[in-house]
Formats: sequence, C-alpha cells, structure tokens
Amino acid sequence: MEDDEKTVAVVVGLIDKATNSTKPDLDPRLLKSIKSVVRHSDSELRLAVHNLMSLMKQDHSQVRYLTLNIIHELFMRSKLFRTLVVDNLDQLLTLSVGFRRNQPLPAPPAVASKLRSKAIEFLEKWNTTFGIHYRQLRLGYDYLKNTLRYQFPNLQANAARIQQERRERELRTKEILLKKYELLKSNISSIKDEVNSIVDEVSECLDILISSKEENVPLDPVDEEDFEDFRNIELRTIRENSLKEADKVQENSENKVVFDALRELYKLLVTKHLVAVQESISVLIRVELSDNRLRDSMLKEFIDIRNHLKSIKKKCEEAGCVLSAPENDEEEDIWEEGPSESVNISKPGTPNKQNDSAGCSNSKATNTNATNAKATNVNLNANPNMDPLKSKLLVEAPVMKWGSFLDNWGSNRDYMANQRGLEVEGHWGRVDHDAVIPANKIAELNVQATVYEEEHKEIQQCRAPLKRGGLCERRDLKVCPFHGPIVARDDEGNPLNQEPDMKNFSREELLNQAVKNVRERDKEVIKKREYDKKELKRAKHAKIRGHNEAVLRDAAIASTPVSSAIGDSDLGREKDSLAKMLKKKATAKDRLATRLLSRKAMARQVNLGDEHSKYREAFPNQW
Amino acid sequence: MWKEIGDRESGKLRPNSFITRIRSNRASSLHLSNHKELVSSHRGSVNSLQVDLTEGRYLLSGAADASLAIYDIQRATDYEAGGLIAKHKPILVDKQHQNGHKYAISTAIWYPIDTGLFVTGSYDHHIKVWDTNTTQVVMDFKMPGKVYRTAMSSLATSHMLIAAATEDVQVRLCDMASGAFAHTLSGHRDGVMAVEWSTSSEWILMTGGCDGAIRFWDIRRAGCFSVLDQSHSQLGRRPPLADKSTTKVSTSKARAPQRKVGSGSSSKHSGTSKILKHAKGSAKQRLHPGLLTSQDRATAHYGAVLGLKATEDGMYLLSAGSDSRLRLWDIQSGCNTLVHYEIVRLQTSKAIQLAVTQDSSIVFLPCMTSVKAFDVWSGQSRMTLQGHYENVNCCFYSTHDQELYTGGNDRQILVWSPLKLIPDDADECDRRTEQPSAVDEDNWSD
Repeated sequence: MEDDEKTVAVVVGLIDKATNSTKPDLDPRLLKSIKSVVRHSDSELRLAVHNLMSLMKQDHSQVRYLTLNIIHELFMRSKLFRTLVVDNLDQLLTLSVGFRRNQPLPAPPAVASKLRSKAIEFLEKWNTTFGIHYRQLRLGYDYLKNTLRYQFPNLQANAARIQQERRERELRTKEILLKKYELLKSNISSIKDEVNSIVDEVSECLDILISSKEENVPLDPVDEEDFEDFRNIELRTIRENSLKEADKVQENSENKVVFDALRELYKLLVTKHLVAVQESISVLIRVELSDNRLRDSMLKEFIDIRNHLKSIKKKCEEAGCVLSAPENDEEEDIWEEGPSESVNISKPGTPNKQNDSAGCSNSKATNTNATNAKATNVNLNANPNMDPLKSKLLVEAPVMKWGSFLDNWGSNRDYMANQRGLEVEGHWGRVDHDAVIPANKIAELNVQATVYEEEHKEIQQCRAPLKRGGLCERRDLKVCPFHGPIVARDDEGNPLNQEPDMKNFSREELLNQAVKNVRERDKEVIKKREYDKKELKRAKHAKIRGHNEAVLRDAAIASTPVSSAIGDSDLGREKDSLAKMLKKKATAKDRLATRLLSRKAMARQVNLGDEHSKYREAFPNQW
Repeated sequence: MWKEIGDRESGKLRPNSFITRIRSNRASSLHLSNHKELVSSHRGSVNSLQVDLTEGRYLLSGAADASLAIYDIQRATDYEAGGLIAKHKPILVDKQHQNGHKYAISTAIWYPIDTGLFVTGSYDHHIKVWDTNTTQVVMDFKMPGKVYRTAMSSLATSHMLIAAATEDVQVRLCDMASGAFAHTLSGHRDGVMAVEWSTSSEWILMTGGCDGAIRFWDIRRAGCFSVLDQSHSQLGRRPPLADKSTTKVSTSKARAPQRKVGSGSSSKHSGTSKILKHAKGSAKQRLHPGLLTSQDRATAHYGAVLGLKATEDGMYLLSAGSDSRLRLWDIQSGCNTLVHYEIVRLQTSKAIQLAVTQDSSIVFLPCMTSVKAFDVWSGQSRMTLQGHYENVNCCFYSTHDQELYTGGNDRQILVWSPLKLIPDDADECDRRTEQPSAVDEDNWSD
C-alpha cells in the first residue's frame, strides 16, 4: 500500500512537472518516464487519467495544451486509458476545443488557438484509428464536423486523394507511352527510309565538295619541302593548323549552291531527325511491355541510326556547317565557359597596379584640371574663341577653392579599397583584396569642406557722455556695461530717439511702485505660511488614513485562507512564468493609452472629486 | 448471471423472479451501445421518441424540423466495419410531406393497439393522425395553441381519446372515432406541458401545467378530482396491500380480451375502473364536486411541470418540474413521497420525456446534456449516461430488450444497451473482421 502511494505520487508529480512549463512542447524525457510508469500499473493509469482531467480544467491554455499532448500520447497506446477518457469525451472536448459558448478557452489566446487546432487534429486521428470501437469518438467527431462545422485537417482523406491522383497520372503516362510505342512500331520503316535518304543526300554533297577540292589543290609538294625546315614544335603545330585550314573547302561562288544544300540538310538533320530519334529511344526505354524482344531490337536499330547520324553531323561540321541557332550541346558548353573566363579577368590573383596607377594619374589630372578651371574662369574673357555654351556655363560656374574632393569631381566609379600598392598582407590579418568602396560612399567621404570665415564688421562705440567730458569709447556688441544698451547717439552723446520715454517716470510713481511691491511680497509670505500650515495638517490626516488602511488590510488578509498561499513563495518560478503568459505584454500603444487615459481620468477626477477630497480631509476617520 | 441461470436450472428460482432479475440486471448496466446505431435523418432537435407497444420493434421519432421517422430497431439496414456496427436507417422519413406539419413536431406517439396508426402533435397547432402504411394524414385536429404533448391510454378499451396538452389552459381530448373534441377539461391556470394516462385505469388522466399543478381527471365526470400538493406528504413507500395486488394482476390479465371492445357504452365498466372508483371512494369523492379552494390552488412544483410518467403498476407518478426537482407521488393518496433525487439541473424551456423501467426501479431523466438514471425509491443516482453534446429532450425505455433510446438537440438518437453477454456473437464479429478488433489493444512502443 505504501509502495502504491509512493508510485502514485510519482505519476502525479511527473504529470504536474511536465505540464508546468512554458515551452511549446513536452519534455520528451518526462513523457517517456510518464509512459513507462503508467504502463506497468493500472491503478497509476487511473490516477493519471484523473489528474490529467483535472489539469485540463485549469484556467490556462498552456497547461491544457501540454496536458492534451500527454493525453494523446497515452490515448494512442493504452486501451484502458482510452475507455476511461472516452467516457468523459464531451468534457475533454469542451475543455480543449472550447465549442461551448459559455466555456471559452482561457488565455493566452495564441496558445488557445493552437490548443483548439491540435485538439481537432487529435480527435480526427483518434476517430480514424479507434472510431470503430468507441461510439463516443464517432459521436464527438460527427458533432464537431456536421453540427458545428469545424474544419478538420482531413489527413487521411487527403493522403488517399494524393495517392489516387498519382496513380492516375502514372497510368496516363503509361498509356501515352504505349500509344507512342505503337505508333513507332508502325512508323519505324518510314523513319528509317527518311533518315537513309537524308544521309545519302548529305554524303553526296560531301562527295561533291571533296572532289572539287581535290581538283583545286596542286600545291602540296611545295609545302612538303618547306615542312622539313621547321624544327620548332610550336611553329610546326601552327603550320599544321594552317594547313588543315587550307585543307578545308572554302566556300566560293562555284560551290555555293552545294554548300547551301548541305547547310539545309544539316539543319534538317540536327533539328528534326536527330531529335526524333532521340525521343523514340527514350520512349522505347521507358515503355513497359510484356514482350521485350521487339522493343530491344528496335532500340538497337535506333541507337545505330543515332550513331550514324552523329557521325554524319560531325562530318558536316568539319566541312564547315554551323548551325546558327544555339541549341547545340557544344555551343552550350562554350556559353558556359564564357563567364568563368570573365571571372578570371577580374580575379585578384594578378594584383592590377594598373588600377592604382590610374588612380594616381587621375588625381593628378584632376589637379591640373582644377587649376585649369580656375585659370579658365579667370581669363574667360580673354578666350573669345571658345564654344559659346561652354563660355556661358563658365560664367555661371562658381569659383572653387582647391580641395581633395575635386579629385573625384563627377566621377562615378567604385574604388578598390585594398589595392593601393601597400603590401599589408599578413601584418594585420587577412586582407580582402576585392573590397570595394562604392561610388556613393566615396562621394560621401569627399564632401567639399570649407573653413568658415567670419565677416569682418566694425563694432560701434558706446559714445555715452562721460562725467569727465567726452564720450565712452568702449566697443560692445549690444550692451555697454556702464551705459546700458548701445543706441545711436548724436555727437554730444544724447540718444537720438528714446529720450522722451525715459523722462515720463516721475519720482513719485516710482516710489508708489516700490511700496506696492513690498506689500505684495508681504501678502505672499502670509499666504505661504497659511498654505504650509494646511499642508502640514493634510499630511497628518493622510498619515492617519494610511495607518487605518494598513490595519484593515492586514485584518482582511489574516481572515482569508489565501494568506497561507501568499506565504508559499517557493511555489516556483515556473508558476510565475505561466502566470506571466496570461499577462498581456504592454506594447507602446498600451503604454500611451494608459498614460493618456490616466491623465484624462486625473483631470476628471480633479473636477469631480474636489468636494469629496475636501470631505475626506475634514473627516479622515470616515470612509 | 450464471449463478441465476444455474439456480433457475435447478429450480431454486421461479421463472418470474428469474426474468425480473435478468431484466433489472440488464437495466442497471446500460451504456452507450457501440454495435447499434440509429442514423438520424433529422435536421433539428429530436423531441419525441416512442417504440411501439405491440411489437416493440418500430421506433417513432419526431423532430423540430417538422420531420418524423420510423426506425426498425430489431433489424439493421446495413453493417459497418465488418459487422461490428449495425446501422439502423429510418425506414420511413417524412419531411416535405404535403399534409405534414409546418413547424416543430413536439410529440409523436403510436396508436397503442397496433402500428397501423400514429399521432403527432406540433407547434403549428395541429394534431395529426397518420396511417403508417400509406404515410397519409387521416385525421387532423386543430388546437387553440402549440401542442406540447399528446397521450393515448394503453389500457383503453372503451374509448380512443387523444389527450392533448397545449399552450391553452384547457386540456382537450380528441376522439379519433368521431374526429371531434370529446372533452374540454378546464382547471389549469396556464398552458399544459405534460399529460399522462393512468396505467391502472382507462378513465383517469393526469396533467401537469406550467402553473406547477398536477391535476387528476376522471373523464367520466366534470372537473378534476384531485390536485397534487407538494406540501402534502408521506414518508416513504406505502406498503402494498395484499388483496389489491392480486386484483391488479387479474385486471392486467383481463386487459387482453377487452382490448378490441369499441368505445361508448358506459355500462361496460372494466374491473380496473371499478377498483379505482372503489379505492378513491371514501376520501376523495367528498371533495370532488367543488374542490376546496385551498386545495385547488395547490402546486406540485415551483414552476412548470415538464414531464409526467406513471409507473407500470399505476401506483406512483413521477413528475419533473422546472424547479429542477423530480417528485414521486403516491397516486392513491395523492401524497408527495419526499424522495430526494440528486438532480443538478434540468432544462426548463421544453417539455421532457421521462422513462421508467418495467419493474419501476429506475427512472431515466434527461438532465441537460446527460441522462441520469435514479433509483426510484431511494433517489440515488445510479448512472449518468453521457453521450449527447447538447440538451437531451426525450428518452424511451424499451421494455422488450431493455434498451434506452434518447434524443437530443444535437439531432442524434442514441441507443443505450446493456452489456453484450452473448460471447459467440462477438466471436463471430471477430472472425469476420480480424483486423479492427486487433487494433483496439495496448500499443506501447516504448
């Protein structure tokens, strides 16, 4: 018995631990241990069912989600588990799918939607595998599908459909192949005839060309003599090549007709017959027949034909026929080589100093250009024989001081960053030779810089009359420390326009003003003292109120059973994180909203609660 | 079970008690049947279910989409999963019948004598009598309001009255022989939700109204002769009187030959009515002509009476009310027996149909999405049958093969049957379909 209880605790603890996590998946090790524990004892399984169902009732989608996963794992394995769960299936579905309006899924919503879709998926799976044995499963599935119209993933049906489609497609291709084969079987003689005829024609053309060439070449022996002299291998190969070139029949007015015909035939051969033969070979290879003998013989024949055609084609090419359309394999090869060559050119294997030197020369050139520009701008008028547009532009053009920015004036070129001729390789780590500074960056770096030059300005004298006689000679920008603001004065030092205003202030008025000021200040002081008194009182009241509230709160907490839970702070951080999931993350919008609302609320509160606050201050012990 | 069979074999057990034991065993082991499935053709909630009383073979169901269907519950129309699941498809579906009902059918009952007729009542204020074989409406009664429930007496030998509980305060008895209303019983102060004929006397009608009153009517006299009062109670079961029970047996035996006797002729009183007359004689008769006003105002439930069901022996009446109470009444004394049934909640908007087993030991009551089985005498909950996904409206217990049929708002008709105890049948299934039975086993991969 004791042992039993112990193991029971193990199962429940394992399940609690597995479901108490914020991760989207179960811990596989925990799951495995749950399974192994549950497998060996029915009583534990019963307890597991009980515990799982109570966990499903928890007000947290994450917990429910993980619980559902465990349920699924056990459901697919244990028969007893199935019979126990199926009895309460509607409750399970209510808690996992949330189809009852009065029992929606709990927060957080993201996990809740995941939970729902998963539950539906599981239900479908359960129904397809065990539906026959459990009417409840069928009922639940039927209810969700036909009454509530939930969208099931329909995995099985989909798979079946795809399989069916593929089978149909295969069947169709087979049929087509068979048809083609039949066609080929009936057509093979005609194809052969056609190929033979064209091959004959081509060979005839070639014969004509060769015979004409033999007529044309009587010079061979001379060359033969010369040939001995060339000892150098290179020279010899060059010569051989040229001889070969000479061997070829050159097109001229005489054999132009023959060449045209040959080209035509070649084109026909390559584009039509060769392709057709190739295709029929592929058909023969792919077709599936009960009797393969005929097919094999046909295949052999076709391969022979193809080889023959290829040899003919080669001959034609030697004779100088080239198809202009780039669909040939060889041409494709050439095309592929192209980019790699170009890459070779730009590779950093050969550090091109050319670039560097170009840069230098360029800067020099611009230097001179700049000076030239200045010069031209200066002696623009002296050059009447210039282009009128240019001269016009030169008139408008600003005179620039020399600066490094002029080096790249108007250039739109990328710079190699690490190729300035300085060999820093290996000193400071790997150097990227390809590093490029883009043109716009260069432009940014070379912004025209000018030094600010202050405009020279005469600072006026104060020119106020001095007691000693004479005028103040201080030079200040706005205010003279001795004579106030600097104003325009006449020669004797009298201000020019503000004279009458100053005179208006009589002594008496000034006195009155002073008295008034003093009285006002006194009043303020009195007010402040009163205010301070009030403040003091208010603080005292607030203190009393706060104390009262604290006492009440303590009393309230002491009387509820929650207090024990509050004391248990070691429930774990996991719990906290699960709880955190429920809290909505405060977005910037939320923060703004709360701020705005609170301010508004505050304003309203101030308007409304004025009286109330007064009342509370008057009677702080009444609430 | 095997012990009982052994006892029967050796003669220790009498045949009757053997039968009742087997029956009660089976009734107490009901569960959702996996091998029997009724394919519901309804598109609305199923409101009424009844298996015919003569053959015990045809299930009549009426639904809220004004459709009704008849299922052959003995013979499956086709099998699925290699014979594991027997599907019963409706043999008669009536949807867009030209003379059919316009609105939801609230009640559908068989003519108690044979399966040639059935009666339906609907929210379109009509009660219709159908010929089963031609599926034609042969009679149509226009009622003053929505029809909630109809009832026909299974004992009746001298009348063919359909008692109709409607929105109206008056209970009407429709005479199928003449096609007119034979009686109009007035006394209820609100619509009438439930109506039930006595199972011991063909003249006694019991009705439950939305005013919470249950009234007993003797259709040979004017007015109701008794109103059940929930505060008028007795403790426990009344000890059955020896002589009374014997006469009961005799009447039930006498019932069969009297069945075909036509209506009318008041001189032909059957034994049943005499007994009842005699029984109620002393106490009730004095009150009857002008029931005391205080008694007239008595209520059986706080709120409407949703369903009534008399036990098979005609001695007790079960009533369910919208106050989520089930009460057991002693018909004889009209007392509340104070049995407490552990009900959580009942649906309150619709009339519900209860069912009682033949030996009146278990009552089946639709409680929201489940059907609960209570011990009639102790009130303890015996089973909770959970299978429906929405509220259950009706249940019918087939005494013939101890099966329970339930219909609910989720449009399903579920079959609850006792555990299959005939192993060879299962074996046969297994042999036919080796594969599916092999699937449902433990499958531990790790």
